[in-house]
Amino acid sequence: MGLIQRVIEEEGIPTIGISIVRSYTEKVKPPRSIFLHWPFGHPLGEPFHIVQQVSVIKKAFEALYSIRDPGTIIDVPWKWKRESYG
Amino acid sequence: MLTPARLKNKFISKMISRFPSVAKHYIDAYKPWESKDIPWAPVKKPLSESRVALVTTAGVHRKDQTPFNMHDTNGDPTFRKIERDTPVSDLTITHDYYDHTDADRDINIVFPVERLRELASKGLIGSLAQSHYGFMGHITGPHIYTLSEVSAPEVASRMKKQEVDCVLLTPG
Repeated sequence: MGLIQRVIEEEGIPTIGISIVRSYTEKVKPPRSIFLHWPFGHPLGEPFHIVQQVSVIKKAFEALYSIRDPGTIIDVPWKWKRESYG
Repeated sequence: MLTPARLKNKFISKMISRFPSVAKHYIDAYKPWESKDIPWAPVKKPLSESRVALVTTAGVHRKDQTPFNMHDTNGDPTFRKIERDTPVSDLTITHDYYDHTDADRDINIVFPVERLRELASKGLIGSLAQSHYGFMGHITGPHIYTLSEVSAPEVASRMKKQEVDCVLLTPG
């Protein structure tokens, strides 16, 4: 995913990626990422948990605007299934 | 058709999703492309005025499109265009390398297109791009070149033409 992100950014379009494997993101080095320590297949969280999904999207867009240093990964500390959102 | 090789991959993907210790083994074994420099394009507009596109590597595509090739062990480096207003009931996932049982129930957990539509209708996002794009993750070997030199530049160039202001990327 990071490779595609880098190519889009090179075209001049700013990007934000959601990462669930921090070690890959550290190596591939996309320009901006948020990292969630959540299982594969669940970057936005749980099925039908709309508030959780929106929280992740908003966090990602916040990061798009707040990150100043290329390659920054913002660690989101939300616990899998044990967090209250909204 | 599920060949023995595909069944094995699907079984491993379920184990990886359920047991973090198994995941660590596969994460350590997979060697992603290592980059040095980092590209940078400054954000120019507030989100409420921006045209946003979504890209996923979760293997999402329309049911009537050719599924991603699961028989090539290096993955499938092509992409599928998903038009802005495509109903999620028309979408499916072809990807044996992660457990998408939950995403099959609610595709928004890997391709949050309905959430983005809601945010756009509330005015938080200016608008959504005409097209979103589905890729498959787990690309290795010679296909890394195809992805980074052919498929991804093609998508980036289309986005540029459609005056996309920013892109959200989601994995599988």
